Amino acid sequence: MSTLLRATELHGLVVVTLGGDEIADVKDVVWRAAGGSVLGFTLNKRGLFGGPMKEVLTWAALHWVGPDAVMVPDATVLVHRDDVTGAGGAAGRGGGDVIGDDVLTEDGRRLGRVVDVIIEVEASGDVVGYEIEADEGLRSGGQRVLLPLPDTLAVSGEKLIVPAAAVDFVADDLAGFGAAVEQFRTQLRTGTS
Amino acid sequence: MRFTEALKREIVDTSAASSIGRVAGFVVDPRTHAVTALRVKKADHDILAWDDVSAFGVDAVTVDTAARIRAPHQGVEADQPSLLGHRVLDERGVEHGAVDDVEFDPESGTVRYLLTSREEIDGARLRGIGTWAVVVSV
Repeated sequence: MSTLLRATELHGLVVVTLGGDEIADVKDVVWRAAGGSVLGFTLNKRGLFGGPMKEVLTWAALHWVGPDAVMVPDATVLVHRDDVTGAGGAAGRGGGDVIGDDVLTEDGRRLGRVVDVIIEVEASGDVVGYEIEADEGLRSGGQRVLLPLPDTLAVSGEKLIVPAAAVDFVADDLAGFGAAVEQFRTQLRTGTS
Repeated sequence: MRFTEALKREIVDTSAASSIGRVAGFVVDPRTHAVTALRVKKADHDILAWDDVSAFGVDAVTVDTAARIRAPHQGVEADQPSLLGHRVLDERGVEHGAVDDVEFDPESGTVRYLLTSREEIDGARLRGIGTWAVVVSV
């Protein structure tokens, strides 16, 4: 587990081929139906009058996602949006559209409100955590912290329910968050505490 | 030798012993990491293939006949942007400033280093030269 990115940082990123040509801008992140990973991106045309494109970029087709660009092998990896299945829909519920949702633990404690989604770049766009604006009691109110998520988390209702143990692995920045997610998930799998 | 040193160097036709233009730019093949042609400042920007250069000398570039200067082929020769000043992006989507200069071997044309304000990037890391950026491997 290494490179972590905030989903909001992806909006507007330029899509560049390994040949060095820019082919699109990222419009929106499209989440898999269960919200546990990124399916791909919808795109805008480059330039002043760039509108939405019919083509989309799937996570499986891209080369790498960095802070300054989304790298793709070449322009042929873009596919028509109708040819992609499994999308939760960028706007619909049940996807990763969780910004603003309340986070509760299984034992009924409110932790805060989701402000961003943390994505692991190497492992197929896995959602590994949420950035939340913490409630009093977790941290001083309003402070932003990173909350790790289990391997599988179905996003369904209007509230997000996480295991109580997630509180023990809250991190303040992305640097140590990868390790925290790993430990949290290992603990859930082995059932130790 | 560096691109900035080699720019504007006189190109001399050795058969006629006359000047036929000046070096105005470089075409680089990112797959072979080598200069494949010189852009020649003449009436318009024409091309002198690297293989047609007799010698890339300290004071002048020599060529056996002015007839070697030709129009650019479609594709890379016609469209490739200049490396100098171009944005550098690695294949993991991280920017590395812009190309300040390029160190190349005047014998073979091989690109040794791309020089940015921050670092020397080995020419073997060159992956692509496109409209947006020079892409290098990590």
